[in-house]
Amino acid sequence: MLSGLPAPALALALVAGVLLDLWLGEARRWHPLVGFGRLASALERRLNRGRLRIVRGLLAWMLAVLPLSVLAWLACRDGGAAVHALLLYVGIGLRSLRDHTLPIHAALVGGDLDTARSLTARIVSRDTRQAGETDLAKAGAESLLENGNDAVFGTLFWFLVGGGAGVVLFRLANTLDAMWGYRNERFNLFGRVAARVDDVLNYVPARLTALAYVLLAERGRLRAWRCWRAQAPAWSSPNAGPVMASGAGALGVQLGGAAVYDGVTEARPPLGNGPDACADDILRAWRLVWRTTLLWVAVAGGALLLLDRVIHA
Amino acid sequence: MLDHGGNLRAARQRFGGTDWIDLSTGINPHGYPAPAPAPDAWRRLPEPDPALVRAACDYYGAPQLLPVAGTQAAIQALPRLRAELAGPARVTVAAPSYAEHAHHWSRHGHVMRQVAYDALDGFVAASDVVVVVNPNNPTGATVAPATLLDWAARLAARGGWLVVDEAFGDTARLLSVAGHADRPGLIVLRSVGKFFGLAGLRLGFVGAETTLLAALDDLLGPWAVSGPAQDIASAALRDHGWQHATLDRLARDGARMRALLAGHGINSGVDAHGTPLFHWWAEPRAEAFHEHMARRAIWVRLFPGSARGIRIGLPGTESEWRRVEQALQQWNDT
Repeated sequence: MLSGLPAPALALALVAGVLLDLWLGEARRWHPLVGFGRLASALERRLNRGRLRIVRGLLAWMLAVLPLSVLAWLACRDGGAAVHALLLYVGIGLRSLRDHTLPIHAALVGGDLDTARSLTARIVSRDTRQAGETDLAKAGAESLLENGNDAVFGTLFWFLVGGGAGVVLFRLANTLDAMWGYRNERFNLFGRVAARVDDVLNYVPARLTALAYVLLAERGRLRAWRCWRAQAPAWSSPNAGPVMASGAGALGVQLGGAAVYDGVTEARPPLGNGPDACADDILRAWRLVWRTTLLWVAVAGGALLLLDRVIHA
Repeated sequence: MLDHGGNLRAARQRFGGTDWIDLSTGINPHGYPAPAPAPDAWRRLPEPDPALVRAACDYYGAPQLLPVAGTQAAIQALPRLRAELAGPARVTVAAPSYAEHAHHWSRHGHVMRQVAYDALDGFVAASDVVVVVNPNNPTGATVAPATLLDWAARLAARGGWLVVDEAFGDTARLLSVAGHADRPGLIVLRSVGKFFGLAGLRLGFVGAETTLLAALDDLLGPWAVSGPAQDIASAALRDHGWQHATLDRLARDGARMRALLAGHGINSGVDAHGTPLFHWWAEPRAEAFHEHMARRAIWVRLFPGSARGIRIGLPGTESEWRRVEQALQQWNDT
């Protein structure tokens, strides 16, 4: 383990970090990622110009991520399990995921389409002005499945690998991908490193998440597995593909397909199969993410304690 | 719903006029003279008639067949059946082709891509289902049976399907794989609409493994094919005299159409493609040609998309042939 903590302490920090997140939720006044976003924007403004954009992108990535990760590592080394747990709490977004999606479900169930639209617009980049229940339910469920990986399971994975510093590294890299990882004129070269690093960091967690979605499928594990196999390769992102296809298959509903971005309808590949998504599928997607979290914490905690026994046997 | 040929009502609405010649399909203009239905045909529920299946198996040389209400019924049901049996599939549909295949295989969670005819071989390995129309409608492109059987075997080894739509297979019997339709993974679609000129009957056949046919039968439900359709098709499928005469006639008429088109410089001197029942060429001024013919009450099929071109069927009478020739002459003069 790179965290430097003994296995039982890491297990304890894992549980503590998740509980802190569930108890306190997202920091409202001063979220560290907001400050980081400003830093990243400033770096991008200065460096995203001239020639050698890929190299400049690499430099910007290192300047943004590495000092903070080293600081986190030093703090963990000196502060022990409590600091690890604190950084996991800051990095993990389980409660925030719930707080951003369940109100959409509530609004849809209450028949308040306008509120559901504006709530959905906060979490996805697509155009929700004309969206109906199916579109909104689809957006909510897709967001839960995909961010379940980015905000929860990827974070847990890198916590287990590198403790609090692993969480910081992963979350900062993930945020940079969200800011810079676009194939447009501005970011195609500059954002290349940010996108590739995120692909690499997420490769294993995404597949473990997809596997958990298959194992916890409500409506047929086989279906979820087949959706993963058939649909993931067609999805534009190599890591979101397995996560969203297996998740949609696990829910037994139709996700993916056409969605409106900036007034233009984009034909995306299908995800899952079965009836169209409805409001309750947001709730079901949340339950899937929640049960996947429990599975991860239980398996990881159990494995750490087992590891400790083996070492001290 | 997708647009198809045979929509004379739309033609009349748009261009007015009467006395239309419908060349927008590949349906034999000299269809089988259907016998009058049995006196109780309209009263009785249509039980499945083993005589129909025997006649069809003899005619198509197939080991086993399921009658369906037109191959369209099977084209719609197969993607659903596949999803129910084996979940979402990676589906490759040959293109350009009869659009209903791609349309329905892009549903039920399947990931469908369209691939050019000559590139198909490279996509078999990465597909769970491959769909090919042979000979192709509208281009007339063909795939050798040995190639098809090889694809079917490779797909079947992974539980995959090869769907071969032989709707225009009657005039190209050597291309047919219907005789192998009991092989795992091979599904063959046959139609009595085109060659027999019985499109209004809504009758087709599916050849496949017994278990698959049973599942498809179950999905389509009872009384899928009307009693009169069964009777008429039984007679047509057994009438070898009519079939031979029709093969000769279609070969003659097909050659005549080919010569007529070539004589009018269609497709810049390169031969138009197709089967005896229809010809197709990539026409750079497809919309103008379509309208030119429509103004003369001749309805041809315009393909505006990737297969940009014109498909033209066979005229039925000498006066229709003359009108088509005249219209082509006038097109050349413009």
